Amino acid sequence: MEMPWWLRSNGGLAGVVVLIGAVCLVGAVASDRFLSINNFLNVFEQTTDLALVSIGQTLTILSGGIDLSVGSLISLASCLTSGLINNNPDRVIPVVIAVLAIGILVGFVNAGLIVALRVHPLIVTLGTGAMLQGATLLYALGPVGRVPRGFNFLAYGRVYGLPLGATIAVLLCLLIAFALRYLPLGRQIYALGDDANSARLVGLRRTRILMLVYGASGFFCAATGLYLAARFGVGQPYTGVNYTLASITPVVLGGTLLSGGKGGVVGTLFGAFLIALLNNLLNFMDVSKHYQLVAQAVIIIAAVSIYVERRRTA
Amino acid sequence: MLTLAGISKNFPGVRALSSVNLEVRPGEVHGLLGENGAGKSTLIKIIAGAYVSDEGEMSFAGAPAKWPSPREAKRHGIHVVYQEFALFPQLSVAENIFVGHERRNRFGLVDHARTRREARELLQKLGVALDVNASVSSLSVADQQMVEIARAMVHNVKLLVLDEPTAVIAGREVALLFDLLRRLRESGVSVLFISHRLDEVFAICDRVTVLKDGRLVGTHDIADVTRERLISMMVGRDLGDLFPARPVAIPIGKPVLHTEAVSVGDRVRDISIELRRGEIVALAGMVGAGRSELALGLFGAVPLRSGAIHLAGRRFTSMSPARAIQLGMGLVPEDRKSHGLAMQLDIAANISGPALSEVALHGLVDRRLEAGIATREIERYRIACRGPATKVVTMSGGNQQKVIVARWARICQSVLILDEPTRGIDVGAKVEIYRIMRELAASGVAILMISSELTEVIGMADRIIVMREGRVTGELAGGEATEESIMRLVTSERAA
Repeated sequence: MEMPWWLRSNGGLAGVVVLIGAVCLVGAVASDRFLSINNFLNVFEQTTDLALVSIGQTLTILSGGIDLSVGSLISLASCLTSGLINNNPDRVIPVVIAVLAIGILVGFVNAGLIVALRVHPLIVTLGTGAMLQGATLLYALGPVGRVPRGFNFLAYGRVYGLPLGATIAVLLCLLIAFALRYLPLGRQIYALGDDANSARLVGLRRTRILMLVYGASGFFCAATGLYLAARFGVGQPYTGVNYTLASITPVVLGGTLLSGGKGGVVGTLFGAFLIALLNNLLNFMDVSKHYQLVAQAVIIIAAVSIYVERRRTA
Repeated sequence: MLTLAGISKNFPGVRALSSVNLEVRPGEVHGLLGENGAGKSTLIKIIAGAYVSDEGEMSFAGAPAKWPSPREAKRHGIHVVYQEFALFPQLSVAENIFVGHERRNRFGLVDHARTRREARELLQKLGVALDVNASVSSLSVADQQMVEIARAMVHNVKLLVLDEPTAVIAGREVALLFDLLRRLRESGVSVLFISHRLDEVFAICDRVTVLKDGRLVGTHDIADVTRERLISMMVGRDLGDLFPARPVAIPIGKPVLHTEAVSVGDRVRDISIELRRGEIVALAGMVGAGRSELALGLFGAVPLRSGAIHLAGRRFTSMSPARAIQLGMGLVPEDRKSHGLAMQLDIAANISGPALSEVALHGLVDRRLEAGIATREIERYRIACRGPATKVVTMSGGNQQKVIVARWARICQSVLILDEPTRGIDVGAKVEIYRIMRELAASGVAILMISSELTEVIGMADRIIVMREGRVTGELAGGEATEESIMRLVTSERAA
């Protein structure tokens, strides 16, 4: 049977679905409340932030790079959101637009530096990330400003019973999946990630592709920052710090090759859901938040090593 | 169609091209000949816009041309098929053909059905049957080449440059390619055909240009030159002087290594070969026949899947480089820059690399001792440098290769494997390397030389083992082998 294209483009999708099934199985044993519609909607809601940031990360990894400035950019975005809005409902719309624009701009700067300095994205984004964290701390040393009451609808609101933020993340994911499949520039992201030298020789415009990719990553970080400000009611300068590593895990789990050129955002979405589900399960089992961080780290190393093993024997 | 006048190009430490002239006429197949390192690749990269020349003028289709990027050259109708290809292994055939020029529907979106259809039509026109949905990594090298050529057809190509297209294909595939080139010529396309196989040059080219050491030797109508003339133009001397004669007095000794149905990776299967003391064995075959994999397997750099290696009276079902070195083996890898040498270190450190314990008497490296060893090797192999502290990265390819050969020649007592030992180096360095090989063999080392240069195989080998698609397809005695008899085994085609 021919698979639909959005599944076909994700070789690793089967794996992540199996893992989701396995977690559900363990969850069903651990607690009778785990396998309920309500809990699933909760988990879906809790997927939002990770889904947003890792959709952007998928793009940079597909192009053969990586964005390690995501954590700091998320912190900055969340602080700017609550700090600039400062409980004034009139400012919500202009600030949201401004924050998203700043995110895109930071991405453009990342791409520009990668191209102009010919430095690996790893180093460039690690550097800009440190700068962004510094800028965030210059702006606010602790929780800053406040968002108006209604703003938390983004984090806690339900539309037709579905959590709003998570639904937006899913829609954005499908939009990106479509773009990757049907825009010429989308196809060229895969080509660039597959073989950068070939891409140069056939005359692909690397700068343009990287601008798109890192700009999108910046946009998704800004969106994550907005979401976190809405969820906590206030921006915090270290709120994004764990997302740098965390954003890579769903990408790898979803079947995107860390070396680029193969994969897709739909797999990433499932990967993010798997992580949220796992954290939820660990909550049910009364495992501390700190262990959840350890669990995530173990998962990413394991997932990458499984991939490497396959490459070696293939 | 294309005119180059006085083109020069310098790289740090090397003058790659020195006022070269070249003229390619409309609708001709123009051969570009030269030894490795003669400057052919640099020249085509300038034509393709991948390099910018330091001096000289280029014009294309009647207008001055100075391409700032490959994209620009392509836009004007120049398409280059590089030896290493510019393909995307994980993308499909159809996507590879149209990459950068995606077929769109009326909404400007990628039209996948149209992409596949047009790719199919294009390949049909070229006379090749390929699954357009297959990923390029799953294709044979010959088919990958066809994908490259198909890509050229997408953009109204005026000049098609083929860099050693027959280095990776053989027999029937070559015939198919030549048919295709003839058809292209008839339709008015110019072809610049880089090769060093003279038979093919005579079969397909209208005119030839010969480069040597970055300089133009001459351009001739193919009808006006003989094979011998072209060889002496390319080499600058007769072939007979190139290979030192085998000293008759040295007998070939006992077997030192033999393999028992060794399989390596997913390509090399059931290899049983034997290497004897004092013998030079050449491993011939196409690129991709599995020769390098076998070498890496013997040296332990890639795990054996099955089988065993018999060496020094013991049977090994697994090998590691450390153990191989201990047993007196050495490997001069195909890619000296990334697998052989520490480019940023000096000669001394590179030579003592695998035998550090020898220069580290009290747990610390004695730099003076190391330099002393290096100085002796530099003299022995006539390595051109400023001394043992010369950084390898600043040296020419030929001298780099001598450093790595010197490293192994010094410590290697049983088997030395050399993978394409003379690729990309000048004739002088080649002769030196051949001399070192002869000396080593005379001292009792068994030498396994992987080479795609048939003249080198015939000139050096006591015995020739031929591989094809991961298996041994035959063995020839050095004295009786000819280019034809080797090629027959390489391509496994029956003699006509």
